[in-house]
Amino acid sequence: MRLLLRIIKFAFQHFFRNFWLSLVTVSMLTLTFLTVDVLLGLNLATDAAINNVEKRVDVSVTFKIGTEEAEVKNAASYLRSLPEVEDVGFVTPDEALTDFKTKHANNPTVLASLDEVGGNPFGYELIVRARSADNYPMILEALDHPSFRDFIEAKDFTSHETVLASLSDVTVKARWFGFTLLAIFLAIAVLIVFNTVRVTIFVHREEISIMRLVGAAGWFIRAPYLVEAFIFSLTALIISGLVVVPAVLIFNPLFDAYFETSSQLQNFFIGQAFWVFGLEFVGAALVCMASTAFAMRRYLKV
Amino acid sequence: MIRLKNVSKIYPPNVAALQHVSLHIKPGEFVSIVGQSGTGKTTLAKLLFAEEHPSCGEVIIGGWDISKIKHSEVPLLRRQIGVVFQDFKLLPKKTVSENVAFALEVAGASVKRIREVVPQVLKIVNLHDCGDRYPRQLSGGEQQRVAIARALAHKPKIIVADEPTGNLDTINAHEIINLLKKINEFGTTVVLVTHNREVVNHLRRRVITLQDGNIISDEEEGRYRL
Repeated sequence: MRLLLRIIKFAFQHFFRNFWLSLVTVSMLTLTFLTVDVLLGLNLATDAAINNVEKRVDVSVTFKIGTEEAEVKNAASYLRSLPEVEDVGFVTPDEALTDFKTKHANNPTVLASLDEVGGNPFGYELIVRARSADNYPMILEALDHPSFRDFIEAKDFTSHETVLASLSDVTVKARWFGFTLLAIFLAIAVLIVFNTVRVTIFVHREEISIMRLVGAAGWFIRAPYLVEAFIFSLTALIISGLVVVPAVLIFNPLFDAYFETSSQLQNFFIGQAFWVFGLEFVGAALVCMASTAFAMRRYLKV
Repeated sequence: MIRLKNVSKIYPPNVAALQHVSLHIKPGEFVSIVGQSGTGKTTLAKLLFAEEHPSCGEVIIGGWDISKIKHSEVPLLRRQIGVVFQDFKLLPKKTVSENVAFALEVAGASVKRIREVVPQVLKIVNLHDCGDRYPRQLSGGEQQRVAIARALAHKPKIIVADEPTGNLDTINAHEIINLLKKINEFGTTVVLVTHNREVVNHLRRRVITLQDGNIISDEEEGRYRL
């Protein structure tokens, strides 16, 4: 315990006696932490966006004019029996006509064209919503069932498919960009930690030689450098936390409004702060300690 | 206490610093090792606190063969041997007391023990009033006394002093030698490495003379004969 306290004391001495070096190291680690946090935030945003789009995605199945209601209801109950289907909405021709009129109430040309057609130009319609976007191809296949495929006029899914595909494409690209940025910052942080330890060893070479002469054990000489790496990580984590937490509190209402979520950003970064920041810290501390160990192996002869 | 059996130290590619050196130093002795520069005096001193390892032969300290001492055992040896150098090797940013305490701190001594020992050893070297001063505020002789106080912190059985008067004027050199004699009178074995003729002749103690890595004389009440 006594030795541990002395190791911590020496580590803090190293940290403060090379203040500017420590500052650069901590800044780089802070940037790395912030990149990780932005990446996590981006991940949450893309997940929320995908969920949002998925919720809006449906297949609208339009039946030919003159199809009997019983046939349509038969198709609806078949679709409801499929495990992939979340919900099936039933729209009668009259309802479809009313919707159309309401939607185009301000457009007399469109309404006039209805009069020209004469009667109700709409057939029955089913609005099918799947449990997941991946289920749509299967549902479209199911709509080819021989008992009702001849009654179907059109199946509309294409436009949503494009939105989903482009969204996941953007997500993948954003993640790749984030990971590349993270890898660059991490590599710079590792090099800076390595250099800081190298310079600290050089600055303390006299003290190290005296420690050896008066009987300090090798591990006692090395340990403060590892603890210093720990201090770098902890300081950077605290600084990044001081930036991230207020940012989350500020952006949380905007995030909720935009993605129609309920405090998702706050629940993740603040509700699960122990895990989010804890894992970030463990990762950074391990990387810093490995870098320190490598620098010591190379430059600290005890 | 200290026994060297047929010890040689060869530095690459083929420089012999010591050749087949054998000697025995009994507990409580005060031995001067003399010789001109480059005769192997410092190498011999370094072998005693395992800063160097012999190329062949045995170095035995208090019954412990340190010729092939494990890396992890070196700190234990150094806590039993006090070492003093020509350039003092004090930490400039620490006070006198902190410099002495440092030796105990790194060895894991308790705060209570540090508070007991530091004033004691500073009193032995007559610097009990200078505990709060920094090395730069002391004369060369005083700095060397701080180094001796630090060497005494572990209450060692052996003190190895490598040219401790090399940077000092005659008066300060005599003070340091008298201090080492006083420490020797308390029972500590002192090995003094020097090429200071006046110091050796004044001491009238055992003198081992080295030349080209060999012992050329070993006299009980010797004089500087080179």
